[in-house]
Amino acid sequence: MRVLLVEDDPRLREQLARALRAAGYAVDEADNGRDALHLGLEEPVDVVVLDLGLPVLDGLSVLHRWREAARTMPVLILTARTSWHEKVEGIDSGADDYLTKPFHTEELLARLRALIRRAQGVASPVLEYGSVRLDTRSGQVTVAGQPVTLTGHEYRVLEYFMHRPGAMVSRTELTEHIYAQDFDRDSNTIEVFVGRLRKKLPAGLIQTVRGMGYRLGGA
Amino acid sequence: MMDEGVHEAVSLHRRLMRAMLVTTLLALTLTGVVLHHLFAEHVMEQSRRTLAGQLEQVLTQLEFDPQGRPLIAEGRLGNPRWQQVFSGEYWQVEAADAHSAEAAPEPLRSRSLWDFTLQLDAPQQEKDGLGQYRIHGPQSRPLQALARTVTADFADGGRWRVVVAADVSETLQAIERFSGLLAASLGVLFVLLLAASIAQVRIGLRPLARLRRALDDVLDGQASQVRGQFAQEVQPLVTQFNTVLARNAEIIYRARTQAGNLAHAIKTPLAVLQQAAQDAETSGAAVPVALINEQVGIARRHVDWHMARSRAAAAAGMPGQRTPLAPVLEQLLRAMRLIHAERALQIALEPAPDAAFAFAGEEQDLQELLGNLIDNACQWARTRVRVGCTVQDEGAARLCVTIDDDGTGIAAEEREQVLARGVRLDESAPGTGLGLSIAQELAGLYHGSVRLDDSPLGGLRVTVCLPLASAADRR
Repeated sequence: MRVLLVEDDPRLREQLARALRAAGYAVDEADNGRDALHLGLEEPVDVVVLDLGLPVLDGLSVLHRWREAARTMPVLILTARTSWHEKVEGIDSGADDYLTKPFHTEELLARLRALIRRAQGVASPVLEYGSVRLDTRSGQVTVAGQPVTLTGHEYRVLEYFMHRPGAMVSRTELTEHIYAQDFDRDSNTIEVFVGRLRKKLPAGLIQTVRGMGYRLGGA
Repeated sequence: MMDEGVHEAVSLHRRLMRAMLVTTLLALTLTGVVLHHLFAEHVMEQSRRTLAGQLEQVLTQLEFDPQGRPLIAEGRLGNPRWQQVFSGEYWQVEAADAHSAEAAPEPLRSRSLWDFTLQLDAPQQEKDGLGQYRIHGPQSRPLQALARTVTADFADGGRWRVVVAADVSETLQAIERFSGLLAASLGVLFVLLLAASIAQVRIGLRPLARLRRALDDVLDGQASQVRGQFAQEVQPLVTQFNTVLARNAEIIYRARTQAGNLAHAIKTPLAVLQQAAQDAETSGAAVPVALINEQVGIARRHVDWHMARSRAAAAAGMPGQRTPLAPVLEQLLRAMRLIHAERALQIALEPAPDAAFAFAGEEQDLQELLGNLIDNACQWARTRVRVGCTVQDEGAARLCVTIDDDGTGIAAEEREQVLARGVRLDESAPGTGLGLSIAQELAGLYHGSVRLDDSPLGGLRVTVCLPLASAADRR
């Protein structure tokens, strides 16, 4: 999953980016409103962590512009402002959740997971497909109760599929959502990850749709 | 700001002077023109009347000889000046058509004209067959002339023009003298009026200059209020200004106290953290993560508490405010449903507020108060939160909002303590106490109340009653 992290304080941004990467996200970073606006409009991010007090263009304006441009990705507002007046204003501007500084990283991660799930219409934090079980909270994957060890990239690919059971996912889409913008992308490596995943998971779980991409099905 | 004030005062002075100058000049010029015109009209009219009488006299004596030539028996004309050469009063009878011109090519004229012929051009005015002219007479003197054209009272007698004229140079001089005198008098009047205006503006604006000095004293810090008695028109402004000053002073005092309190409160967790860091450094032991988290939590609660208080303290007590309840509740519930989305709570608004329900206070205060209470309920609820609104009569009409949850509730004997404890007690779970005591504090500023009861849903019921804004307060 790809997260856009918008925060102007370099130290906090660095800490958050590290925590998000450790939790398996591909992270795009922006330290001002203009760059954030651009990334949110152009890149297929799955979730946004948005600070409100930003240089160049403030966070609420960025959010307004995204929503006007029909960008519907879930947005979590992160701010030091604690008044309900400001929370209500943020949510009425199109935010999906609100977290005030200081906060525990665990709470931020839990809220992001929930936002991504809800955006895909999935209710439970545990994703199940056939005998495969993926716990988004712990990042643990089991097949028929037996734990399976996955690399970060393999986990991200599987998680993306598990959020969209039965849906066609093209290689390009997969590439866009598991790599950050500045990452050197090569769609051939996707095939490598899928190949490795297939070896670790029940046969036929990830099906190839010829000329189109992949789909989670069978098994 | 001060410069702007000075600029305003100067321009007020100038504006008054300019207005005075323009109106006085206009009025005096108009008076001058009208008086001059009336006088000239009057004098010229007199001379015209005299001429009209003389014309009548000449006409009565006008006769014609058998050849059809006009004749006037000069001896019968009573005016001796017609006999005196270039006396300034003249008459003349001249042919007015071809037929009469044939009978008498030369005009018949008074002796006073001698060999001068009056040349009439276009009349200045013509009324009842009587033409009035301004012409030049002998020695280029200005003449006023009256002429009437008559038809000889025998067959084929032709048409004749009878003219009488008088020298008006003296009359014109008199008019000129009068005008000069008039202009001089009006000029003197103008100067006097101007002086009076300057004095009036100076005296009239003197209270403003005094006000400025009094304000300077306030700015210099020599006085905390604008002192002194001012004119009736200025005094209300001074009173209002003093009210604002007093309010500001109060806000600053409160803000200082609160900043001081906050700084003091935060210093304790900072000292604990510093001590922990030193211990870890000297003993080489691991950084006590639990302690850091705990102290950061305490510092954070202090900040939240003081922020909420300072906001409330700044806004409360402004009269004439009105905040409709329904939109605020709808916004808050929308926010709560998103913020607590993970818990899939049922958050209901019943009974929903009547559209006319309004809080007599600031919108942001209402948002803080209800936001804290509803958020608190959402954190403690198992599955349901219900928000209801009623208007109750407790002497005065009160706007009451009840917030029910199906959480664990608070035991009756602990309720008072929960409302009172504020920031001082540690929190064992999110939202404990702080939200309730902030709400209590805010409600208190508006002379409202917060009450805790058992909820029919099984958990806690919080009832907050606030002053109701009457429909008449609507701005």
